[in-house]
Amino acid sequence: MSVLSKVGKRILRTLIFHEPTLEKTYILEESEKQDVFGEGPKTDSKNKTDPGDNTNQGSKAGTADKTGQGKANNTDPGKKPGSVNETGEGNGRGSEKNREENDNSKQNEEGSPGKVRKILKPIPVGVDDLSKDGNDSGKNKGGQNGEDSKNKKETQNEDSQNEEDSQSEEESEISTDIKENLEYMKNAYSIPLSGDVVIREFDITIGEKNIEAFVIFIDGLIDSTVLNHFVLEPLMLLSNLDIKYVQKDIKTIILKQLLPYNQVKTVSFYKEVLENVNFGSCALFVDGLNVVFTADVKGWEHRGVERPNTELVIRGPQEGFNEVLRANTALIRKIVLNENLIVENLKVGRRSRTPCALLYIRDIANKTLVDEVRRRIKSLDIDSITDSGELEQFLEDNTFLPAPQILATERPDRVASMLEEGKVAIVMQGSPFVLVMPTTISTLVQSPEDTYMRFPGGNLFRIVRFLGIFVALLLPGLYVAITNYHQEMIPTDLVLAISAARERVPFPSVLEILIMEISFELIREAGIRIPGPIGPTLGIIGALILGQAAVAANIVSPILIIVVAVTGIGSFAIPNFSLALSLRIVRFAYIALGAVAGFLGITTGIFIQGIIYAKAKSFGVPFLTPFGPKTAGAAQDDFLNLPIWKREERPDYLNTGKRRKQDSISRKWIVREKGSDES
Amino acid sequence: MKAKITFGIWEAIMMLLNTICVPLLLGFPRLMIETGGTAGWIIPIYITVLAVLFFTVIQRLYRNFEGKDIIDIAEIALGRIGRIVTGILLMLYIVFLVTITLREFTEDMKVIALINSPISFVMMFFIAAMVFGCYFGIEPLVRFSSVIVPIIALGFLFIVFGVAGNYDINHLFPILGNGPRAIFIDGFFLVSYFSPLVLLYLIAPFVRTHKIMKITGYTTILLSSIFFTLGTLCYLLVYPYPISIENFLPIYQLARVMEYGRFFQRIESVFVLIWAASAMSMLSIGFYFVVYIFRKTFELDYRRPMIWSFIIIIFTLSLFPPNLMTVLELDKMYYSKVTWIISLCYPILILLIARLRSRNPEKEAKTR
Repeated sequence: MSVLSKVGKRILRTLIFHEPTLEKTYILEESEKQDVFGEGPKTDSKNKTDPGDNTNQGSKAGTADKTGQGKANNTDPGKKPGSVNETGEGNGRGSEKNREENDNSKQNEEGSPGKVRKILKPIPVGVDDLSKDGNDSGKNKGGQNGEDSKNKKETQNEDSQNEEDSQSEEESEISTDIKENLEYMKNAYSIPLSGDVVIREFDITIGEKNIEAFVIFIDGLIDSTVLNHFVLEPLMLLSNLDIKYVQKDIKTIILKQLLPYNQVKTVSFYKEVLENVNFGSCALFVDGLNVVFTADVKGWEHRGVERPNTELVIRGPQEGFNEVLRANTALIRKIVLNENLIVENLKVGRRSRTPCALLYIRDIANKTLVDEVRRRIKSLDIDSITDSGELEQFLEDNTFLPAPQILATERPDRVASMLEEGKVAIVMQGSPFVLVMPTTISTLVQSPEDTYMRFPGGNLFRIVRFLGIFVALLLPGLYVAITNYHQEMIPTDLVLAISAARERVPFPSVLEILIMEISFELIREAGIRIPGPIGPTLGIIGALILGQAAVAANIVSPILIIVVAVTGIGSFAIPNFSLALSLRIVRFAYIALGAVAGFLGITTGIFIQGIIYAKAKSFGVPFLTPFGPKTAGAAQDDFLNLPIWKREERPDYLNTGKRRKQDSISRKWIVREKGSDES
Repeated sequence: MKAKITFGIWEAIMMLLNTICVPLLLGFPRLMIETGGTAGWIIPIYITVLAVLFFTVIQRLYRNFEGKDIIDIAEIALGRIGRIVTGILLMLYIVFLVTITLREFTEDMKVIALINSPISFVMMFFIAAMVFGCYFGIEPLVRFSSVIVPIIALGFLFIVFGVAGNYDINHLFPILGNGPRAIFIDGFFLVSYFSPLVLLYLIAPFVRTHKIMKITGYTTILLSSIFFTLGTLCYLLVYPYPISIENFLPIYQLARVMEYGRFFQRIESVFVLIWAASAMSMLSIGFYFVVYIFRKTFELDYRRPMIWSFIIIIFTLSLFPPNLMTVLELDKMYYSKVTWIISLCYPILILLIARLRSRNPEKEAKTR
């Protein structure tokens, strides 16, 4: 019935209003309706397509802009960065001829209802509106729909339609009439309801003409000093000076002579304006121009470059990523120091349009891999995203695999080194963790320090880490298995000690270990949540006191405290937090299996876990690579490290453009001339 | 389009090596010594030579059928009926192999570690591994084999060399044991222990080229031979002939005599880990091929829906023998004596007919 009702209403609406998709969200002025309904000509299409002044403002090379919203999205790695962007900022709208046509069209808009521009205004959301149904307000204000919109079901069904309408509205072109633009922006940002959005109106004096203009920006996101000195001051004060204007059209004069700021773009659509303003730019609207100048004046408060919190090293760089996209890409670029490093700008989220950057080294990374990563990111159809942890979950191959399939790191040096190997990285605005893919099991047990330390030390660390993994995963399960099924393998003295300690404990060993493991997890979780420096202290004291008290109360045996503590320490030795977490989860399964069938149960667990991991893939690369399947160079630095001069090739499984990363004799100084060898 | 499954030489070798060598962890050394006496360690070398000969003939005949498995070749040779007969025959062989091995491992596990548990309960763990393995398919199975088999092999070597202190060279005399007849005539049938090599003819499409198949086959036979010989020899060196034919789990008995100081005296339980891992890997692969052959023989679209049916059949069959002794008897009478006909002779017959039927198989292969 609801479908029939919906269809009926649609037909009715179509008959009455001819265009059912527009009346809900937008207020259409009388003159505009005719255009929208197809009675008037559309905007001067000639202006849109006429190639003219093809200047890329702010950055002539057309490279990716600082804001991350640059249009030089060289999706083709083979395309030279800096080529003219396809969206064509300033694509001829500044030419004299176009200017005249614009003026004419403006006059036509004012004079003739049949030739008005298509202007769609979003409904301002007022306090009163928030209490009502959004569609209601739209319909009432538009006065175009007399139907009762209280039917919530219908409202929900129409939401998607509204979103489409909203998109088409955002993609509409900027008007030449500053009043309309002002009205549009006020509506878009619900001014004055939104207190942080600022509109500053002023006049620009060019020659004898006073031209109305305004800038819009979000207070707190921009640097006021930069805005004042490099945008407002030149426009308001310098324009009054006796400047020799060699340019004739206003757009070019503003762009080339009045705006000394280094990062200015011209945009032609409201959608772009909103995106730029939302991301800390200011937008300059000038009367008579159907383009907007956006200057990247962002200057919000953010954390500086500090030491990484989760991946500390003794030797090596001590810088970590922060929450600013461009700071993070710059941290990587300053290590890679190569023009082949590509930083592609992408956006995630229909509403948030969160800027992300896809990084790879053009002549090393496998093109198929890069395409796959790009495809996955672009295919995301979500409203918004907050952190790279969410993005990771949207991109990974297998959601239910305990182990991570994408590496999240906050170390620029690690990302740089992996890019050099041929991997791909994603930096996301607002997240200090950069995602690197593909990731295999060996990557997760590596630490950057393995390379920075000398060969023997690096390998010792690696072995200790493997031991940590073994202990964190299997020790409690093995303890339960041995004490319940395989007592004979415990040496006599030890078995006597264990049984003496357990004599007064009333619980079976499996229950005993579960109590302690759960307590340990509680302490760990509580330690993280407790604010400030109390957390770790409380964690340690809590664990000590709890353990001591539990032993004194004969609830658990002292040996069990040792087992649980060693297990906890083992999990801390794992360099990747996500991997450690996955082991913590799986550990409980091993405890259960050990309790049910001893070593047989544990072997079954290992086998099933192994099969699941062998099946898993990270962006097409088997997770157990290079061990299963075995690939060339597995011994290089995947299990244990070879000396640094012996690590000659990039990982085989990445199928990189350049396989070798150093010569077979990288230390040329060891090659001596014939006869010079003393031996 | 379904992605084509392929795997490399290493994965194929490890998979076959484990499948062939599993009897080594069960009763293989004992059976060798029963047959050859103190010359039991010579029999593995002898049957290796036989296996190499058989394989040489097979791989030469196989040259013209690159990328085809034995079932495809049976269809070329004998048509649709040939495909079905071959499929059923191979399936029955693998079902027998899996069933016997499953029961033996379960019984042994019960005796060693889980004395109080019912046999069906112990078996459930192997069954779980088989179901998981078959569900996820051959690719993860061989990948995981390539990781786990070297560890199992190291564990095995640790045991056989760990008991070096107990070696007594006098246990090898008389050098020819029960005599040449026992070694070379009775021992001939023991070439059946290489019968899991038939899996190589089933994975031929996965290993792509004939050259890889050839290398895989020879390397597997050679490595298996080393392990077979080493296991039997070391067992014989530790236990004198009269005792060695009494132990029903020779390698486990070897592990039991390991002793390093006062602290490490009873570490044979660790052997359970290696042992179970090897069994699970072999049983999963075997079970996968049972289902795979059935699907291929009857040209079915899906494999996974058949897993439950087949696992119930295998579970039931493996519980049929009333006790371990019956299983060991079945193993000795049929598996060790007869299976070579199916796995080594029958492929030769099929390949010969296929070769005769298609005078120019290469051309035919292209047209197909």
